[in-house]
Amino acid sequence: MTATRSIRILLLAPFFLFAAVPQQPREAEKDTTAILQANYLYNIAKLVEWKDADMRNGNFVIGVMGSANLYQELIKQYSTRTVGKQPIEVRKLPRSAEVERCHMLFVGRSDLGLLPEIYKRMNGKPTLVVTEYTGALEDGAVVNFVKVDNLLKYEMSLVNAQKHGLVVGLTLKNLAHRVEE
Amino acid sequence: MKRIAHILLIAFMAIGMVRGQGDPLVDALRKYQAGALLEAKDLVDRAVVSAEHGTNAEAWLLRGFIYKDAFKAATDIAQGDGFRAVAITSLQRCLALDEAGTYRENATQAYDYLARSYFNDAARALTEMNDQRAIDVFGKYKEATLALDPTADLRSKEVEFTNALGTVYTKRFTAQREDTTMFEQAVDAYEHVLAIDPENYGANYNLSTLYYNRGVFNIRRISAEDEIPTIMQVQEASREFFQLALPYMLKAHDMNPTRKETLLGLEGIYYSLQDQESSDKFRQLFEEIAPEEHR
Repeated sequence: MTATRSIRILLLAPFFLFAAVPQQPREAEKDTTAILQANYLYNIAKLVEWKDADMRNGNFVIGVMGSANLYQELIKQYSTRTVGKQPIEVRKLPRSAEVERCHMLFVGRSDLGLLPEIYKRMNGKPTLVVTEYTGALEDGAVVNFVKVDNLLKYEMSLVNAQKHGLVVGLTLKNLAHRVEE
Repeated sequence: MKRIAHILLIAFMAIGMVRGQGDPLVDALRKYQAGALLEAKDLVDRAVVSAEHGTNAEAWLLRGFIYKDAFKAATDIAQGDGFRAVAITSLQRCLALDEAGTYRENATQAYDYLARSYFNDAARALTEMNDQRAIDVFGKYKEATLALDPTADLRSKEVEFTNALGTVYTKRFTAQREDTTMFEQAVDAYEHVLAIDPENYGANYNLSTLYYNRGVFNIRRISAEDEIPTIMQVQEASREFFQLALPYMLKAHDMNPTRKETLLGLEGIYYSLQDQESSDKFRQLFEEIAPEEHR
């Protein structure tokens, strides 16, 4: 191998490294939004209290609809953790408005069409619905991920939280980008 | 052809050296012709410090040849480096003394070979991830080239070498991300290339990738122990890297708008900057390019 060829190979190497970055669907390793959302969900779970006594026993169920990378990240980083004494159980939900009982339900951008029906079915139930679209709090979500100044933040509705029997801790409220009271 | 010129030169030197045995230069030539390099080397060393041959261009040329061959035959790197350095200085001395230009062509050919060997060794050292040796021998390549021709334009070699050096630093950083020294050195390397050649596609692309990956790595380090204020701090730190990455990737994209890795790169950077619209735009551009157009 000549020296020039060696140098060319070195120069090309990072091109190939990068070519392995986001494909369809986005590579989980590089899905920064999914990584952040997973951590937010875990922290939110720790800072909310479920008034319903039934919800304070058994597994702490996080349902994920529409974001494979978020599901994967939750499984990888948080599925061996607990919320209080409740072990976390992460479930990948099928695309359906008939959602099983869970503590937190994340519905991704790709399944926004199902949300009106989901809100209807979840009405009054002790499930914390998390979404990621403009106007979500007005529609019924408790927590909504928003993009502000190139950062991922969250906004929340205390009114909607109350409707679902959730008590939001002061810290969570104070750290939110926006709070609808 | 060079080999024939070399043989003719040796024959010419042999004819010129009518002196008999006992003259270290003649003896050095004979030993050299016989392939006894070590003995030839000792004899020619004696010759060039003698009053008779000290200012003899021919003697310095022969010394340059002998040491060049000794360098080629050396199996030990340090020894080879030493022989090459002596060959270089001997040929420089020959060229300085050879006012009539009798040995210019042969001396220059040998000198060029030795100077190029520095560059080749620098490239080899980079392939072996031995960046310090690469820097050292590349420095000697520049020094040797400029000694012969102070107006030589080394920019393209500098760009080629430094880009490859940046890649080595990047690989080192990727292997050991806690140590950011390699990251800083990689940034310096690519910035150095861009100072010489702002239109260099590789440096623009690689620098952008370096910043982007650093931002992603920061976010990947977030763990279950981290609370919301920490997430915000990490995001802010990563945002800086993503923002730094963006202009270089845009530049690389402008230089070759149908290159798939820059389209994916921009998609990834905008996505990490939480700019979904721009990210989707570049994803769409990527998907619009037929596979055969990907290059």
